Amino acid sequence: MALPSYSHRDPNGMYTFSSRPRPVETRSKYREPAPEQTQRQYGNIMYDRRVVRGNSLGQQPNPRQTEQSDPAAVQRQQALKRRAIARRQAREQLRTKTPDALQGRQHVDVQTELYLEELSNIIQTTDIECQTDDFMDRPATPLFIPAKSGVDAETQIEEGELFDFDLEVQPVLEVLVGKTIEQSLLEVMEEEELACLRTQQRVFQELRNNELAEVQRLQEQERRRREEKERRVAQQKEVLMKERETAEKIAARVFSQQYLAGLLPSVFTSLRNHGYFYDHVEKDIEVNFLPWLMAEVNNQLQKRYTARELLDTIIYEVTQKRLEEFRRLETDQQSPDP
Amino acid sequence: MAAAAMDPNRAAVAFGRRAVPQLFEQLQQRDAPGRLRALTSLCDLVHEPERLYQTVTGGFLKQLQVLLKDEDPSVRTKTCELLHMLTSHSIGRLALLSSSLLPPLFGLLDDSSSSCRRNVHLVLNGLAQLPAGAQALLPLVPKLMLKLRQMPEEEEEEEQVLLLSTLSCCSRLDPLPALASDGVPVLGQTLTRCSPDVRREAAAVLMALSVPEDGKRQVCEEQFVLVLMVLLQDGDVEVQTNAAGVIMNIVIITTGKYLCLELNVVPVLLSLLSEKEEEEQRKRRKTLVIYCLRALTSLAEAPEGRSLLRNQLPLLERRSQDQDQDVRRAAQTAIRVVTWSP
Repeated sequence: MALPSYSHRDPNGMYTFSSRPRPVETRSKYREPAPEQTQRQYGNIMYDRRVVRGNSLGQQPNPRQTEQSDPAAVQRQQALKRRAIARRQAREQLRTKTPDALQGRQHVDVQTELYLEELSNIIQTTDIECQTDDFMDRPATPLFIPAKSGVDAETQIEEGELFDFDLEVQPVLEVLVGKTIEQSLLEVMEEEELACLRTQQRVFQELRNNELAEVQRLQEQERRRREEKERRVAQQKEVLMKERETAEKIAARVFSQQYLAGLLPSVFTSLRNHGYFYDHVEKDIEVNFLPWLMAEVNNQLQKRYTARELLDTIIYEVTQKRLEEFRRLETDQQSPDP
Repeated sequence: MAAAAMDPNRAAVAFGRRAVPQLFEQLQQRDAPGRLRALTSLCDLVHEPERLYQTVTGGFLKQLQVLLKDEDPSVRTKTCELLHMLTSHSIGRLALLSSSLLPPLFGLLDDSSSSCRRNVHLVLNGLAQLPAGAQALLPLVPKLMLKLRQMPEEEEEEEQVLLLSTLSCCSRLDPLPALASDGVPVLGQTLTRCSPDVRREAAAVLMALSVPEDGKRQVCEEQFVLVLMVLLQDGDVEVQTNAAGVIMNIVIITTGKYLCLELNVVPVLLSLLSEKEEEEQRKRRKTLVIYCLRALTSLAEAPEGRSLLRNQLPLLERRSQDQDQDVRRAAQTAIRVVTWSP
């Protein structure tokens, strides 16, 4: 619903008004009781009293004070003014005028008509105002009552003739109440069902918890007993092992005692056999004296052998010499012989 | 239905078979209020098993994936509520598990709106009741433990309860992930919080966690047993039951036995057994009685425990004449162990 005209205040404070072009509508003398916007009668603009006739260009109103703030517009205005002035001056110059008066004379305006008029610059004016009458409110249209025609007739519905309320309302009521009760029954049954299920579940859970506890208790018991048994068995085994060890130890001891009993005499015997027990003097004689004796004996014998050898060598040498001598003699004998 | 036309919060529902598909088509609109209305109507419809079946088999669950990432928190909340309705039926649960909706759902755990988080917890809780669902949720357990550790005490109690119950279901299936992410110390803190629901669920998780040996050893520290003793004298029967269950589990190992004997747990358990009960309380206390008997049985395996309990034989014999078969059996086992001699 855009309005055809639009006016607002610029940010500069200037008031602008713009309006979509629309045909001007005729105005009636009487105000309409309600302003309707449906039918607009468009009249001929040439015969509209509100339109200005004649030249509207010369009647430029004074530029408003606010317009001078716009420099471009101001300049245009000034240019226009200058041009207008120039034009006027040009026209003035072209127009022929009466020549100026000779010296000593002056032109004077004179009235030559029969009747003299008073000429003055002051134009007598009178103000006359005129104002249209106020709009008169249109008198209300008289009610239009058409003339009576036709025949009058009356009719009336008595109570109870159309229908019986109590009878008719029953099925409707039944349906309404029935549906409501049905829905509520459903909901209640649902809740009951749920409650039943819950109780059942709970009973089951409790039983299960019970049995679970029992089972666990028995399990624990089993475990404890088993562990106890194992511990006892382990203990027993240890005892047995200890016993066995002790028996072994005893046997070992007895055996070793036995073994060691015959050890001592045999040791002594063997030592004696190996000569570890000896008579010191004997030993001493054997060790010290006898070798010395033997050594001395050896020396003596050695001396004898040396002496014998020496003798042998002497004999040998002697015989050798003799042999040589004999040989020499032989040769000497032979050589002088020939 | 007339109700739909009159209620501005709900979209109009088509008749018969066309209802669910049309609502899902409406869900693909852009504007949030329209989607919210369609979701609300869907939540109402899905109570009916037929419609639920239609939803699940019509392959509409993929559209819900987009909705889970919507900016409007109320849309997310309503979607989670719808998923929660789905988990109340078996086919819904199976469909949820086999669809790819779980990762965005896990992402919503950190959502800013608390009602959305609550609904996500409801969905996870519903899923965890199913063994396959608990299996699928096992990778989520570390993240849940982290959330539990960071959760402040005062607010979001319902969330805590739901989270703990999901954890207990998952831990019953496989306690190892929860133990690995330091489950026991975190739960020790939650045991002392004031709401009985929180305590009950925390004790249940602890009971599931103390089934493997490692868990038993972790729980066998003194401060936990002291806290459990306090819980044994709590007002709520469920809390007492779960605490007795935890004790029952930890006294199986020897350290547990001796710890409990030191801290005088035996008189407390005996007092719980010897309470006179009326008929309607009998059923609720049955589990408590059975757990106490089992705990005493385990304690009787230690020599000190045996000597303590030998004096209490009349009490145990009274219990063995009880009406309930399970109680009788448990009491007879207890008597047998107490009177055993090596």
